[in-house]
Amino acid sequence: MSVYNERCTLDGLQKLDPQSIGAIYDQYFPEVYRYVRYRINDDSIAEDIASDVFMRLLEAAQKKQGPQSSLKGWLIATASHAVNDHLRRQYRRPVELLSDSLPDAGPSIHSEIDMREQNRMVQGAFAQLTTEQQHVLTLRFGQGYSIEETATHLKKNINAVKALQFRALASLQRHIGEVHHE
Amino acid sequence: MNNLYEVLEICLKDIEQGATIDTVLFRYPDLAEELRPILEASVDARNMATLAPSAEVMRRNRARVLQHAAQLRERKVRPASRRIWFASLRRLVVTLTVIVALFVSGTSLVRASSATLPGDNLYPVKRTWEDVLLLFTFNLQERDALEVEHENERLHELLEVFAIGRFAEVEFAGVVTSQNGNEWLIAGIPVVISDQTEVRDGPVSIGSAVRVEGHAQNGIVLAERVRLLPPDAKLPDEVEVEREEHEEDNSGKGSESHDSQNDEIKLESGSKDGSSNSGSGSDNSGSESDENRNDSGNSIEDNSDSGENNDSTDSDDNSGHGSNDEGGGDNGDDSGGGDNSDSGGGDGDD
Repeated sequence: MSVYNERCTLDGLQKLDPQSIGAIYDQYFPEVYRYVRYRINDDSIAEDIASDVFMRLLEAAQKKQGPQSSLKGWLIATASHAVNDHLRRQYRRPVELLSDSLPDAGPSIHSEIDMREQNRMVQGAFAQLTTEQQHVLTLRFGQGYSIEETATHLKKNINAVKALQFRALASLQRHIGEVHHE
Repeated sequence: MNNLYEVLEICLKDIEQGATIDTVLFRYPDLAEELRPILEASVDARNMATLAPSAEVMRRNRARVLQHAAQLRERKVRPASRRIWFASLRRLVVTLTVIVALFVSGTSLVRASSATLPGDNLYPVKRTWEDVLLLFTFNLQERDALEVEHENERLHELLEVFAIGRFAEVEFAGVVTSQNGNEWLIAGIPVVISDQTEVRDGPVSIGSAVRVEGHAQNGIVLAERVRLLPPDAKLPDEVEVEREEHEEDNSGKGSESHDSQNDEIKLESGSKDGSSNSGSGSDNSGSESDENRNDSGNSIEDNSDSGENNDSTDSDDNSGHGSNDEGGGDNGDDSGGGDNSDSGGGDGDD
């Protein structure tokens, strides 16, 4: 979306114009959903949170507190906060989720089970990271952002992001090992 | 350490392009051991990446978001109309409150000002209220009556001002009944015309209706402006009668005195009675001495002069009073004058 178009879209958003809102949704919902889904290993919760991010956008726009320049930056930051809130609530009231990772019976069932087991371990290890480490890994590997783009979203300089990324991956590797040993 | 981060970034880019971990680490054998677990973790992290939401998820959530927007729009419109209604109501309440407050305070103010005299702070309120009453009196007869009433009120006020000895700016209308040099009698009020007095709208003669503006002082009005009134101008009426009564009182009191002010007041009564000032004064001196003894308020200024007169005429008897005069200041003069006039009158009778 060009700067001019984004400006027009933001104006339309403030007026709660359905056309502008639809355009924003189509443009950014997949990205927000991917971010949330990456950090939360649950499709329906990720869907709810991603949807909630857009509700917050509308309410903020109505109160004239919405994004002034970067819509995408605002959405990802809000998604990050929403996920953090969710994880905090989940930490207070842990729920034993029914595993939906049981594969259907089929010819490649063993490789599928291995892959899901690996994913489960990585997800478990990922959940052990700090929110900032989760955030940087999500942006880099979930969203596929460049180091420069990630630095912009994190409002940090590039070297700081590189260091943060290194520590996050090291920590993830360590936690995967711990989960594997369990 | 910075080098390690840089190399990691290069390796991550290569892996993203399709290179394997072994391939990228081959170029950095010194860092290979340290970087390998990091790169393996990065591959795991990349494998966690999820696909874009399904079309069903997109459609479902789009509807939710747009529905929420519609609700917000509706909520935005509703409070606005409610806000306007509340704002209008609030404005109405404030306006009514201000009107009631103004009415209450205004009527209280007018009531409080009704008894004021020239020189009082609220006197302008009284005059303004009179103008307002005139403005809203549309019946011509009632309007004429009201104008006459106001003119009468001016004369009443002037008499009150004289009575309390106030120096105040006054205004009144009346017919010129006497012109003795610079001393005129207008509506029974002694008016002194000076060189500074501005006489407008033609020459003023006895019988002319005029409006006088000036300062009340010691029972006279020092005229600043005398304006000839048109023939149909409203003039005070019955007040002159009261004035005559007042003048009679004053003439009685002033019978022992010969100051110019009381001479002016006596002009009217004298002209009406047809008797001379000196005659009336001497005739009444004995009979009114008792009245003057009680009427100390009106005799303050006048009796000071009369005291002097009596000092000269009754010098033998008033040696004691003379000592009072010397001992006292103004008050001594006043009291001495009062005493002297009384005793002088008494002596005369005796």
